[in-house]
Amino acid sequence: MTDISMDIARPEPKFRLDLTSDAARARIRSRYRAETRFKAYGIAALTVTALFLAVLMFDILRNGLPAFWQHSLLLDVPVAADIVDPAGKREAGAIKGADYFPLMRNALNAAIPGIESRSASKQLTRVLSVGAPDRLRDMLVADPSLIGKTIKVPLLLSDDADLYYKGAGTGIDDRAGRGTATPSGRTGEITVLTSSNDFAEELQNIKLRLKSVADTISRDAGRIERSGPDQAQRVASMRAEVANLANRYQQPGNAEALDSKVPSVLVAINGGLVKATRLDASGITGDVLLPLKSAEEAKPGTWKVVHYSTPESDRKVTDQEVAFLERLREAGAVDRHFNWRFFTTGDSREPELAGIRGALTGTALTLLVTLLLCLPIGVMAAVYLEEFAPKNRWTDVVEVNINNLAAVPSIVFGLLGLAVFLNFFGLPRSAPLVGGLVLALLVLPTIIIAARAALKAVPPSIKEAALGVGASHQQAVFHHVLPLAMPGIMTGTIIGMAHALGETAPLLMIGMVAFIVDVPTAFTDAATVLPVQIYLWSDLPEPAFQSKTAAAIVVLLAFLFLMNGAAIWLRKKFERRW
Amino acid sequence: MDMSTVEHAMLTPSATSAPASGTKVTARACNVYYGEKHALKDVSVDIPERSITAFIGPSGCGKSTFLRCINRMNDTIASCRVTGKIEIDGQDIYDPALDVVQLRARVGMVFQKPNPFPKSIYENVAYGPRIHGIAKSKSDLDEVVISSLEKAGLLKEVKDRLNDSGTGLSGGQQQRLCIARAIAVSPEVILMDEPCSALDPIATAKVEELMDELKANYTIIIVTHSMQQAARVSQRTAFFHLGNLVEVGDTRQIFTNPKEQRTQDYITGRFG
Repeated sequence: MTDISMDIARPEPKFRLDLTSDAARARIRSRYRAETRFKAYGIAALTVTALFLAVLMFDILRNGLPAFWQHSLLLDVPVAADIVDPAGKREAGAIKGADYFPLMRNALNAAIPGIESRSASKQLTRVLSVGAPDRLRDMLVADPSLIGKTIKVPLLLSDDADLYYKGAGTGIDDRAGRGTATPSGRTGEITVLTSSNDFAEELQNIKLRLKSVADTISRDAGRIERSGPDQAQRVASMRAEVANLANRYQQPGNAEALDSKVPSVLVAINGGLVKATRLDASGITGDVLLPLKSAEEAKPGTWKVVHYSTPESDRKVTDQEVAFLERLREAGAVDRHFNWRFFTTGDSREPELAGIRGALTGTALTLLVTLLLCLPIGVMAAVYLEEFAPKNRWTDVVEVNINNLAAVPSIVFGLLGLAVFLNFFGLPRSAPLVGGLVLALLVLPTIIIAARAALKAVPPSIKEAALGVGASHQQAVFHHVLPLAMPGIMTGTIIGMAHALGETAPLLMIGMVAFIVDVPTAFTDAATVLPVQIYLWSDLPEPAFQSKTAAAIVVLLAFLFLMNGAAIWLRKKFERRW
Repeated sequence: MDMSTVEHAMLTPSATSAPASGTKVTARACNVYYGEKHALKDVSVDIPERSITAFIGPSGCGKSTFLRCINRMNDTIASCRVTGKIEIDGQDIYDPALDVVQLRARVGMVFQKPNPFPKSIYENVAYGPRIHGIAKSKSDLDEVVISSLEKAGLLKEVKDRLNDSGTGLSGGQQQRLCIARAIAVSPEVILMDEPCSALDPIATAKVEELMDELKANYTIIIVTHSMQQAARVSQRTAFFHLGNLVEVGDTRQIFTNPKEQRTQDYITGRFG
């Protein structure tokens, strides 16, 4: 303070910066540890998030991507004039209305000849979809001169057959027969006997399985017995079954019947296929699935023992159908192609015919209504509140309530839409117009909040500059502030629309959850939207619809990514430095 | 004290031949409140035409507040209240019948931080003339833009890139662009709120040179923290302290022979 104090020896200050002592070093070490720990937490959190995302994306893509491909049979179809156009007038209406089923059946019978039993020929026609003739019909309507000719045309497979080719069937393995095999006939129920014990291994597998079943029952019986005496009768019957099974597996030579719960055993011989229903070590009794060319004996190595490793009861296709599908595949008749139909048709009860065109169009119409309502109203509301409204209690109330509205559960907006738009105004149920109105209510607060934030982010110096050269307040806002806020407003709007795109609950309330086959063409047509379509499909039992569900999710996510990407692009492109 | 001799019709720009000694802006008993805070206390001052008047004083002394009263920029602050009387050419600018937008066209403003619109250089200058209908045709507008840039001493540097963004210029160029933008609407008074505080010494020198040229045609009022700048550019200086106008007089007299002790203390660096 004064000059004198400079000369006096300075006392040790009470508070001194300490950088060298052990305590100081410990402090530094602990600070570094804390920083490292914090970094590790962050990385761990990010890793977990990325992992979840990766698993989700992997699962959805794994389930969904196969649905973008489809299998058809490329068969020569003789187009008999008397079936397609009995009147011979070549009228489009008559050709459209004809029954194409006999044509399909004839083409299949030509591809796999010799099927006699009614049940087998029924199963053969079942590999085709009910929509299989669509392509042929379109071709004939477009060019009636094809009638009477034989044309090669892709015939759509049924969902189960399609899934089979996508790998949801069964593993198939085979081994060459060691002995000479003698079939007893060509069709129907036959026996195949071999000169060596070709089926000893299969028989042993069955006996082992019987033993394990017997052991399980025996354990269960013991547990029930220990738990009390009141179920004595049940225990006795279980014991009897165990004894019966033991009797079977303890005699290794005995023939055993095969049921649909064990892997199927088949014999491929003389160009045909026999499914074993009963086998012993040196022969089988079974049903012919594909007719044999002859009943002559087959030399060792020229015939095969075939296994379908998945038991018949665990798959959607029977052994007979597997036999047909494998035969068709060997014949090169199976054609794998991109599933355009998925994007060009509406919903259907048949998974292989169902598409998302209806849902996509419904989504587009709904979002269009939402956008047309939200953007002008939202932006004008934001501009008024941010730039012109007097700051008083009323504007505070409005502001708080806009923020509250943004947090209201979406189902509540659905109820509001049901009560107001449907019941009071009597607008049509399930219509994109109403869906758009409801989603507009939902998105409006988001857009207003985003737009206000964007307006606030414009530096006040820009407005002052405009006012400084004599622009009115309104001119300053509309000439300078609003254009500068527009990228932010657009970003907020796109995020809001992406939110609306994924919204399901409010649309359920206004009846957009109906099964609608036709693609909507107007704002008042009955329609559904993509997320609701996903919800509908996910509820259906057919496995093919599970895959359609995932495929529709992939499309929805693609749109969401596209919209968010557009938002990011806008932000980057119009980002300004002040 | 009131030296205004000519009664002007409403919002008529003063004749360019008016004598340089006339009073342009007159303030009487001007008080400004921000809510409860009394920011400017009873300020009365006359500002002469076609000269540079500097407002100096420590931070928060009210000099910027007073400056912003002269083009009613304080109106944009909701809690701000102004009492007293401010006249330009004898006309009360707080008259309810007066259109504030036209007032601001007559009283241009240049801000502390260069704030060009994020548009092209041409658009920056053309904006004012366009909204006020000063230029009737495209060629008129071109003429106004070119002559304003010329007067602001910027034309040589930017004439080849009039369509480039105004925000791409250097800080000093941006500030001169803001001056060009202000003079494009032919104001009578230009208010400058610390126009050089964000600029380096070379850019500052250019702006000061420009102000010296402009004072032949415009009444310039500048707020500055730099006493050297006030001494260099201004003819008259007003010293504000704690919301009061302490002393106003010729710049030479204020800096060499101040009447008030507080002025003396401030200019010799005792406080502030």
